[in-house]
Amino acid sequence: MLFRSGPRRRRRPEGLILGLALLLTGCAADAELDTFQDQSETARQINDLAIPVFIVAGVVLVLVCGAILWMSIKNRVPADDDYEGEFPTQISHNNRLEIGWTLGPFVIMVVIAVATLVTHLAINSTEANAIEVEVDGQFETWEPRVVVVGQQWWWEYRYYLTEDVTTDDLGDPWNLPEADIVTAGQMVIPTGEEVELIITSRDVIHSHWIPALNGKKDAVPGLYTPWKIEADEPGVYFGQCTEFCGLSHSRMRMQAVAVTRSDFQDWIHAQMTSATMPTDENSAEYRGMQVFSNFCASCHLVNGLNDGDYNGAETVSGSAPDLTHFASRTTFGGGLFNTYNSDGSLNDDDLAAWIRNPNDVKENYADDLPEGALPRGMPDMGLSERQIDDVIAFLATLGPRPTHAQILATEVE
Amino acid sequence: MTITEPTIEGPKTEGPLELESGREAIAERPLGVLTRPQGGRGWRDWLSTVDHKKIGIMYGVSAMVFFVVGGIEALLIRLQLAVPNGGVLSADVYNQVFTMHGVTMVFLFIMPLAAAFANYLIPLQIGARDVAFPRLNALSYWVWLSGAIFLNSSWIVGGGGADCGWFCYSPNSGVTFSPSHGVDFYAIGLLIAGIASLVSAINLIVTCLNMRAPGMDLFRMPVMTWMLLITQFLLLFALPVITVALFLLMFDRLFDASFFNPDMGADPLLWQHLFWIFGHPEVYIIILPAFGVVSEVIPTFSRKPIFGYTFMVFSGIAIGFMGWGVWAHHMFVSGIGPISVAAFSLSTMFIAVPTGVKVLNWLATMWGGQIRFTTAMLFAVGTVAMFTIGGLSGVTHALAPADTQQTDTYYIVAHFHYVIFGGGVLGLMGGLYYWWPKIFGFMLNERRGKVNFWLMLIGFNLTFGPMHILGLQGMSRRIDTYSSGFGFEFWNMVATIGSFIIAVSVLVLFHNIWKSKREAADLPPPGPDPWDARSLEWMVPSPVPEHNFDEVPTVESLDEWWHRKYSFDDNGKVVQIATAEEAAQDGSAKGVHLPAPSFWPLVLAVGLPLIGYGLIFNLWLCVPGGLLVGMGIFAWALEPVDDPDATHDHDGHDDDDDDHDDDGPDDAELAAAPAAPGDSTAGAPAAPGDKQGGE
Repeated sequence: MLFRSGPRRRRRPEGLILGLALLLTGCAADAELDTFQDQSETARQINDLAIPVFIVAGVVLVLVCGAILWMSIKNRVPADDDYEGEFPTQISHNNRLEIGWTLGPFVIMVVIAVATLVTHLAINSTEANAIEVEVDGQFETWEPRVVVVGQQWWWEYRYYLTEDVTTDDLGDPWNLPEADIVTAGQMVIPTGEEVELIITSRDVIHSHWIPALNGKKDAVPGLYTPWKIEADEPGVYFGQCTEFCGLSHSRMRMQAVAVTRSDFQDWIHAQMTSATMPTDENSAEYRGMQVFSNFCASCHLVNGLNDGDYNGAETVSGSAPDLTHFASRTTFGGGLFNTYNSDGSLNDDDLAAWIRNPNDVKENYADDLPEGALPRGMPDMGLSERQIDDVIAFLATLGPRPTHAQILATEVE
Repeated sequence: MTITEPTIEGPKTEGPLELESGREAIAERPLGVLTRPQGGRGWRDWLSTVDHKKIGIMYGVSAMVFFVVGGIEALLIRLQLAVPNGGVLSADVYNQVFTMHGVTMVFLFIMPLAAAFANYLIPLQIGARDVAFPRLNALSYWVWLSGAIFLNSSWIVGGGGADCGWFCYSPNSGVTFSPSHGVDFYAIGLLIAGIASLVSAINLIVTCLNMRAPGMDLFRMPVMTWMLLITQFLLLFALPVITVALFLLMFDRLFDASFFNPDMGADPLLWQHLFWIFGHPEVYIIILPAFGVVSEVIPTFSRKPIFGYTFMVFSGIAIGFMGWGVWAHHMFVSGIGPISVAAFSLSTMFIAVPTGVKVLNWLATMWGGQIRFTTAMLFAVGTVAMFTIGGLSGVTHALAPADTQQTDTYYIVAHFHYVIFGGGVLGLMGGLYYWWPKIFGFMLNERRGKVNFWLMLIGFNLTFGPMHILGLQGMSRRIDTYSSGFGFEFWNMVATIGSFIIAVSVLVLFHNIWKSKREAADLPPPGPDPWDARSLEWMVPSPVPEHNFDEVPTVESLDEWWHRKYSFDDNGKVVQIATAEEAAQDGSAKGVHLPAPSFWPLVLAVGLPLIGYGLIFNLWLCVPGGLLVGMGIFAWALEPVDDPDATHDHDGHDDDDDDHDDDGPDDAELAAAPAAPGDSTAGAPAAPGDKQGGE
């Protein structure tokens, strides 16, 4: 029977694919990148356009494959070459029919095109409202805007709260003006507000994508690309770099953390506070600070420690994550690892493994480089186990600890 | 260079191949040293052949070799992604493997497989004895092969394959970010292969325009030839663009230029524009030959003419034109600005219209027909269905807003595999089963063929169908691994299982070829026209004799061959007026003048990769490479149109056949010069066991 039935029929129409997808995975809590679980106006607008087109495509597919199936059954004759039946009517063309099925799809496409243009204009328009934020006791009017900078293989988010910095003020991405808040791997935004993103890169092209909130936009070195993002509800929205960017492309992840206005204000307050340096010379934290100064400070900035003489990192991109508030972030290593365990304790194991040799846990090009080449990623610093423990102790003091609920919400695998 | 080609000289009044052959030009040996090789038998014949059929076969065989290479790379990719945090390949090797999988499948498998069909079929379908420039044709093949081998040699001598993706976006392709030599091999390898495609495109365009048999108007050419002709035009205009881009990349990497270095103010989007201005027409370069195959197979096995020939041809032309106006739909999220995005979004949608016309016309061809489900027909119908899926998913990301979610995810991987594999590969597989008896003189077993088809179709859908879901679930492309917890596990495992089913189906194909060849001795020969087909290639024996047509046919209608077998009675009913055997030529013509073989295309082609290695490793290597190329060009220009000795009875090539016709020059209207050496089939209608068909 297998060889005698007709040609291949389409077994899995598009609608069924979507149904199956939803059934098997879509509604599961662990599908954090699912494009159909939209959590913002923009993402909804996109799906409102896409899903009807999926359905139209599914109908066309069923019709085409139905026709094939029907003819395969009805018009089939034995396949052997000496079949001698009378020839069917030799119809060579029918202009009216053909013009019809040229114009038919054309009309369908015109309808889809109009709908596309409407949505396209909508998702490319901005209506960001200025909000008031308190910075160092002063109230500032802030047009929600985050400068997003990609580099191999992590994302930096820069907030300019006290002055209105736009694309024109940014200069080149390797010498961005000093920002009030700089984070890595986690972008914190207030809910219900449209946040303008200015996306760029310091090395190769990356692409910034938080599927639940909006489509993606490439980060191109030397180019500042506008985009926007917003979230209806407080929550954590996962993202992944989607433009191939070299070795650890798959391990370049991020999260958008949407919080209420008051939580956002608290977060600003915490981030605007410089780190307090340990003073007890016998403590692990103090030793860790010294190790940090000797081994880490040439690349990583900690305000209050080396901001006086910091001139960017000795890497290809000229940057490394700002660690001033390291402990306030729940992920590290380009959004790949948890800073804290599920029980709220510090994730010493992953931190130690990372510092021991980053290349072991996230592949990079930082060791055994040819003469004159700069690292991409964090090199193996050759620290002793004791030094590693001390540095971790120091890092844990940087910034206020997130709440247990935040730790659980932002947990990565 | 055309002056040396005998096939285009002489008066054209009696048809392009009724040649005077330029006897005057060969009266003496230029420089007294160069002769044309005699061809003969065995491997030497293949190295010097300029016969479009042998070149077509070599293209096909080489393409299948690289199909296996690219297929193994695909299996490695699927093994790595079968489970989360896969450990089969390191990230570095994975990036090389997925890059080389793409490059190999596009440039070294499907394009040369299409070139195989183009070479073999275009002259036969338009009633010509060879292409317009036979030596250039050989050059195309050898240059392509040298580029292909050069490209893959980076695994051994280049420190690994290119690791920048087949699209090789700058600045990730720069020395800073890809310090191994892989990208150098990519750039130079594709430059070399590009020469081949460009030469071949010019050759086949001239062939189609100038070499048609008497009466073979452009609008009597089979749809296959039309689609191949459009493909050649696309190649002609697309390849210069990628050539420019690759030159810039090569200079950036090897000579410290900064065309793509944003640090120095370069715009990295320049590469993307150049790449996709080539890359999008490339999609049609891949798919149009398969459309051609389908347009031949479906009418034959529906016992009806193609429905709406004119619409089919013009929709192909429309696709060819519109294909140039949609490239930036690969760049919707690259930051090119909303106006450009809107414009390219609209242009992309409307390319669906001519494509839809094709699908509907194929359905109308089957409508009311008598459908014989041979393996070839199964593949053709499978192509229509699978391509429809790929076309429809293409419409879904022509919607720029939706594309911001879909692009660079597995949804795109699913889409273009439905187009390129579901459309292109399944279509060409159908072509393989359809024309196999014509090319090799024996049939491929139908039962095994159907196993081949169903396994391939099921495996294909299991592999790429789930990728639609994975993409919409947010799985990025080009990731060497993924974490558990995103819901990617199940469908990735399904896809990996599917990929191995495809691998089995390819093994079934190879088994079928091997076994059918062995069984062929006990079976009756397929005869000239085993499928009751419609176009001119079926009126000559199988396998096709070296001179193609005993007598160049005079064409009076579309589907000329069918009309030589059938007519209509007064009631409009089809009546047979001749059997295929009666109407066909028997291949017995003697003394047909054919272009003489030449080794110089091969010599020239060998020089190019040497220059390539020189550019990468040591410029001194360019010297012997350049000398070889120069020698090839000069010797080519200076070698005689024919071997002067061939006009007398001489002892230079005793491996020739006995029935070699020596009174050629004065011989009848067939041709002016003697049969080309090696014309061993001229006197013998093909038998199934004929050595010529053995492959």
